[in-house]
Amino acid sequence: MMKKKKVPDWLNSSLWSSPPSSAAAAVPSPTPSEPPPPYPPLSVLDPPEPRDSPVIDHTDPPPDDAHHHHHHHNHNHNHNHNHHRSDRDNDNDSDDAVSSLPSAEEISRQAQILAELSRKVIDMRELRRLACQGIPDSPGIRSIVWKLLLGYLPPDRGLWSSELANKRSQYKQFKDDILMNPSEITRRMYNSTSCETDDAKCESRTLLSRSEIPHGEHPLSLGKTSVWNQFFQDTEIIDQIDRDVKRTHPDMHFFSGDSQFAKSNQEALKNILIIFAKLNPGVRYVQGMNEILAPLYFVLKNDPDEENAAFAEADAFFCFVELLSGFRDNFVQQLDNSVVGIRSTITRLSQLLREHDEELWRHLEVTSKVNPQFYAFRWITLLLTQEFNFADSLHIWDTLLSDPDGPQETLLRVCCAMLILIRRRLLAGDFTSNLKLLQNYPSTNISHLLYVANKFRVQSV
Amino acid sequence: MVLVLALGDLHVPHRAPDLPAKFKSMLVPGKIQHIICTGNLCIKEVHDYLKTLCPDLHITRGEYDEETKYPETKTLTIGQFKLGLCHGHQVIPWGDLDSLAMLQRQLDVDILVTGHTHQFTAYKHEGGVVINPGSATGAYSSITYDVNPSFVLMDIDGLRVVVYVYELIDGEVKVDKIDFKKTSSGQSAH
Repeated sequence: MMKKKKVPDWLNSSLWSSPPSSAAAAVPSPTPSEPPPPYPPLSVLDPPEPRDSPVIDHTDPPPDDAHHHHHHHNHNHNHNHNHHRSDRDNDNDSDDAVSSLPSAEEISRQAQILAELSRKVIDMRELRRLACQGIPDSPGIRSIVWKLLLGYLPPDRGLWSSELANKRSQYKQFKDDILMNPSEITRRMYNSTSCETDDAKCESRTLLSRSEIPHGEHPLSLGKTSVWNQFFQDTEIIDQIDRDVKRTHPDMHFFSGDSQFAKSNQEALKNILIIFAKLNPGVRYVQGMNEILAPLYFVLKNDPDEENAAFAEADAFFCFVELLSGFRDNFVQQLDNSVVGIRSTITRLSQLLREHDEELWRHLEVTSKVNPQFYAFRWITLLLTQEFNFADSLHIWDTLLSDPDGPQETLLRVCCAMLILIRRRLLAGDFTSNLKLLQNYPSTNISHLLYVANKFRVQSV
Repeated sequence: MVLVLALGDLHVPHRAPDLPAKFKSMLVPGKIQHIICTGNLCIKEVHDYLKTLCPDLHITRGEYDEETKYPETKTLTIGQFKLGLCHGHQVIPWGDLDSLAMLQRQLDVDILVTGHTHQFTAYKHEGGVVINPGSATGAYSSITYDVNPSFVLMDIDGLRVVVYVYELIDGEVKVDKIDFKKTSSGQSAH
């Protein structure tokens, strides 16, 4: 028989829900055997040195669009483990005050990350632990850390130059082979047989000689193995990719606009997606892959190291493959209803929500009948790139990529946190308002969101 | 990589009912970027059919065309090449290389495409290349016997052109090619 779980204490402040009396009425009295709300393992959140600063509590996301970054309120919390939250609070401090200097904690974290990166053999566990708290925005750091987290760069620094050279030339090979148009392909086939091409204008008058075509390759060929036929079949996908790339982040100069820079970036995105589609006939290209590629390419291209920036396309390709490998199943239509497909993932999110906040779950799915597929589909398949602004989604990805639980698990926890953070508004809303809210998720403090997500981590005993 | 279809002298419906089925099965929309037609379609239905294959259609007037508004000659630039189009019944003697070369110099084009003889030919001379795609339906003509249906597909890629010649011989489609290139994109002095 299922035990009804109570709302965890830290959620139970006046901050989150309607007047305590009704909250108590809605939730059954806690059973004595209920364990105290779990806290994240100390090793993950422990700041390098203990902080004495006063607790600054997090604000409730405001009812409307006003950016709450600049509001701070002090609340009473039943919470008595203040020092665990302090480093997150300080993150908030530094995140919120846009123009202020990074906090001492951030500086020390950056120093630690840099120290870790400069070691001969990087301790990936340590790097993950540091990266999970957020990667500093200083140029170049995120690029290298992501490459390490995605397994593109091996932990042993000594191997980096050979690995990079290897992979980059491999990508160049892919490009040459895959992006060649049929004219060139057939020309190379011809060149092996004869080198005769008549000059159009020359002194003599002759009948132009006709020659045989190799392998029956001609542009109108309908043969399945014909390079021309395959080319025309691929044009559909290439057109789709082209359209999607042009629509990616239209508000960012990096991706959009008439500048040479934007155009070359778009070209790079297209190449990567086309090559991926050709190399993976099982999944090919699905709309949305461009959104997953965009932050990767952006981070890698903005590397201050010139060589890295020049090879950003090749590096981004392999990182994209690696990142997508965990999420491929979301894009395969046939798997939609299977155990590994997107539907099952959404169901797991639903279960996670039920586990952590039954009241909200019940209100959302049963009372207001908001099917999680209506909002969670985009959250999950696009890895939250569409729900937050670009800079925030980079921070979220820091956590997604570095969390030892793996991106999919972490993603579900973050989604769950997203729901719980706006529970007051959701509980007050009906189908229409809730759906509207969830499909246009209000801007929120990312560090706080990640902190809450972290709290849902499954505790090992 | 631009694909240009060159065909003509279909003489539908007077001398032939339609393109051969094997040609029609190959000519599908979406592959060809331009169509140049030497003329003698002769009716609007053929024009409409060609328009479905490719919206960029250029036609010059043959002596039996019902549409009187097609021009006598036409020139267009595709990539690095200038192409000229003319039905060819105006050029006398019919199919004579010297006379056609004069027309080519007049039009100042690298590739001249003409028809009327219902026979595929491809010549080169000092002024450029002359191509006759033949009759796409194999319609009879007064100057050619045993006409095989034929048409031409040009693949213009930079300074090179690969001309694919499609002929229906004994019920089978045979494809050959001809390669040629320009040495430069500027005017060459003769």
